[in-house]
Amino acid sequence: MKSRQKKPKLSERPMFETVTSVLYPLLFGAVIFVLWETELLHRMIGTTESILPTPSHIADIIANNPSKLFGNLMMTMLPTLIGLALGSLLGYGVAVLAAMFGRWGAGGLTIVSCFNAIPIVALAPVFNNLIKTVTSDITIRGLTAKVLVIIVMCMSSMSINAYRGLTQLQPFGEDLMATYGADRKTVFLMLRLPNSLPYIFTALKVSLPLSVISSLVSEYFIDTVEGSQSRPGLGRMIRSNILNAQYATAWAYITFACALGVALYIVLMLISKRVLKNRGK
Amino acid sequence: MKNFIKRLTSKNGWVLFVWLAALAAVWEIGATVIGATVRNHPEYILPHLWQIAASVVQPVSDTQTIFGLVMVNAWATLSRALVGFLIGMAAGFVLALLMSLSRAVEKIAFPYLMLIQMIPILGMAPIVLSLTGDIGVSRIVIAAILTFYPVATNMLAGFRSVSREKHELMYSYAANTFVKYVKMMLPSALPYMFTGLKIAAPMAVTASILVDTLQGGVGLGCLLSQSLKHNTSIYAFWEIVFISAALGILSAKLIGLIESLTVGGRLSALSGRLIRSAGKEKRYEKQAEKTEA
Amino acid sequence: MNMKKFTRLTCLAAAAALSVSASLVSCGDSSTEYYTASQSHSEIIKDAAGKGKVGNWGLGNEYEIQALLAKYNLPTSYLSQAFDMDGFDSDEILLASAMTYNELGLVINDYEGGYGYGNKVSTIDMNDEGVAMLEDNIFCTKEFAKENPNTVKAFVAASLKGWKYACEHPEEAAQMVYEAGSSVSADHQKFMASEVAKLVTTDTKGQKVTNYGNIDREAMQQTLDLAKKYIKLDDSAASARLASMTLDEICDDSFLTGAIGEPEKTSVKIQLKWLPQSQFMGYYVAAAKGYYDEVGLSVEIVSGGGDIGETTAVSNGTVDFGVTWVSNLIAANAGGMELLEVAQIYQRSGLVLVYKLAQ
Repeated sequence: MKSRQKKPKLSERPMFETVTSVLYPLLFGAVIFVLWETELLHRMIGTTESILPTPSHIADIIANNPSKLFGNLMMTMLPTLIGLALGSLLGYGVAVLAAMFGRWGAGGLTIVSCFNAIPIVALAPVFNNLIKTVTSDITIRGLTAKVLVIIVMCMSSMSINAYRGLTQLQPFGEDLMATYGADRKTVFLMLRLPNSLPYIFTALKVSLPLSVISSLVSEYFIDTVEGSQSRPGLGRMIRSNILNAQYATAWAYITFACALGVALYIVLMLISKRVLKNRGK
Repeated sequence: MKNFIKRLTSKNGWVLFVWLAALAAVWEIGATVIGATVRNHPEYILPHLWQIAASVVQPVSDTQTIFGLVMVNAWATLSRALVGFLIGMAAGFVLALLMSLSRAVEKIAFPYLMLIQMIPILGMAPIVLSLTGDIGVSRIVIAAILTFYPVATNMLAGFRSVSREKHELMYSYAANTFVKYVKMMLPSALPYMFTGLKIAAPMAVTASILVDTLQGGVGLGCLLSQSLKHNTSIYAFWEIVFISAALGILSAKLIGLIESLTVGGRLSALSGRLIRSAGKEKRYEKQAEKTEA
Repeated sequence: MNMKKFTRLTCLAAAAALSVSASLVSCGDSSTEYYTASQSHSEIIKDAAGKGKVGNWGLGNEYEIQALLAKYNLPTSYLSQAFDMDGFDSDEILLASAMTYNELGLVINDYEGGYGYGNKVSTIDMNDEGVAMLEDNIFCTKEFAKENPNTVKAFVAASLKGWKYACEHPEEAAQMVYEAGSSVSADHQKFMASEVAKLVTTDTKGQKVTNYGNIDREAMQQTLDLAKKYIKLDDSAASARLASMTLDEICDDSFLTGAIGEPEKTSVKIQLKWLPQSQFMGYYVAAAKGYYDEVGLSVEIVSGGGDIGETTAVSNGTVDFGVTWVSNLIAANAGGMELLEVAQIYQRSGLVLVYKLAQ
């Protein structure tokens, strides 16, 4: 911003921008990594290796238990993606209906947005208990309860954002459509839907990390078969290891949970870049 | 004008009421089905709304009702949420400012801000606890960590939204950075900040409830897990579900109210909850035009 | 609006219909699964395990159940059990874990939060089965014990005095806990107090114990041996530490006896393993009757039951003392913490498996 006013220099070249966006965080990360590994960080914040294990210790555990870690990763990722997809679709549907029905729709949307205010720790046990009455298959039950929590969590952010996209049109767009004599359906398809596209991605950027976290937290409450072969999901493993004071193992799972969130976020960013770019043309 | 707004809000209120009634009807159907099929204690799964309402006056001890107990805990959580929210807001604001001042800071901080949001609280909490040495302080710190992200990102988006022309105008005035921020950037970013705050406020409440469950003591989360463990009446849990939702909504409303009082939105009072009105953007442009003139 | 409402109603109706049909199915076949008083424990355990209906809370509470399953040559996997007895109530769990003083009380009694089964249930006791592991103790860090020996001695002595009084007057103790702000109903509190008194004054073999807080090395060794067998750690460094662990690394009974000098630290905190209830009545009694004041200590009792375990809280210095199960302390030390048990409050295991009797 500031640099725009000045003469072109190295920092204005696009190459420099790209390189530094990767380099700066990496350098910062490297500094933290060194402090962490050498346990200087522990001394700085007054904790011990048993509570904040070093990266090499965590890596060691990951290397020794790959199948367990990846198995649990899948059990968290699957419901996250299903819940995110279903919740977002449902949220979009709600937004479309809300946009169609004016004030009644807006009222309904207010109700949906209220769901977001219920904490996951309250929601997860409710759904887990409700699902108990539906099926006795424990794996399906666990997955369904997780998916339901994520759906509720994702739905409101999508519906609110999509509603904004569907209703907040460029003034001239509506005028133009009016001069064409377009009917409501055409206005909807040609103007409202495309206009809501960037808003969909705004919503997903919020609901994606939220759905990962919801998945992790709802795992605390779901039913599962416990044993050496069980794969209840990353969140459950994090919790049981922390309660058992196995912080290094817990951090191996935390690493995977973070990696899952970041990887999904990067994929979302790439998709959104591509979709929104094509749209511009 | 005032009359007009009043009429419209009351009509909106009616719409809301019908929706709530529909929701309640659905809940009651569910509760009836559960009540008919679950042999023992259907209230553990889904009680009737009237049962929850009746539980409000039920005593939990010689001196206290369930509702009284919930309110004592709600107050503890709410006060922690408020402090956490204020700290988170300040931190988010400062960070957004730093990021908008320096690209380098933005590039360094942004990916890690994302990453911190991804770390489950359970992993973070023991470290914060070692750092602070006190569970109460840790709860506030974690609530702040969880709430500052939307403020920071929205504020930054607000700073970035200032058009190039305005920047050039400021440049032509030879305005220094301070003047530029006070006269142009901050006013432009305010609506964005309020959007962030409206997201952050309910988050502060839910985050505070979540961090309550880290350890015992007084707080909605503590009572919630106690109730789920049947250590106290199950209706405490159901009351908390409703009260936490109400607190979340009220907190967002409160921010909306503050917004309409400070940035003075005639429109936002009406529809500001959902619609970041185009009119407001125009108003800010007009303001900027005034400065230009 | 009509359309949206309609969609929503349809969804819920579908879900409701689904739940009705599923519930009807589960109601139909469950009544035949109950056991009779004449069946042997071995038979019952094998049947329930075969159906995958043995429940435990996990999270470090499962080792006795796994040892029991292994004793009968069964796989050591079990069903996760929530911290309530709903799963047992609805027959998802046929053999449910219960603490004699807490969950079992809820199953049997019909006061607030209870399920009212009365004598329609029976139990399998871990002590009788020879797989008992010791539970509630008092511990601190090794460093704290070394630097504040008199504080530790004073705290232990006053707490044990509280425990002695509580076990001799359980009803009064329950009332003190209740008045200290526990949200558990007064009735359940009383039940709990009388059951806890039994665990504190009886050992794993059923013998009467009079020296409160005694660290019974034989029972401790059995606990450590079972812990080594059933605590499964993914961290190779931690499992190596666990495999070579000795009794002296986890407990020290020298703080139970000897003269008490001036306490080095006079203001201390103790974190409970669970929510405030009669399970911890000794500390509440010691506080209420001024036993801590007598030895020159000001004690704050911190409620547990949250996700930051008592081992973590003690290890990072948030609190000075903690109450935990011996197996949890063993796991924590394997994970790199330096914790030390200074008194063993419960002299026998309070864990049982409860099952319904066919009527």
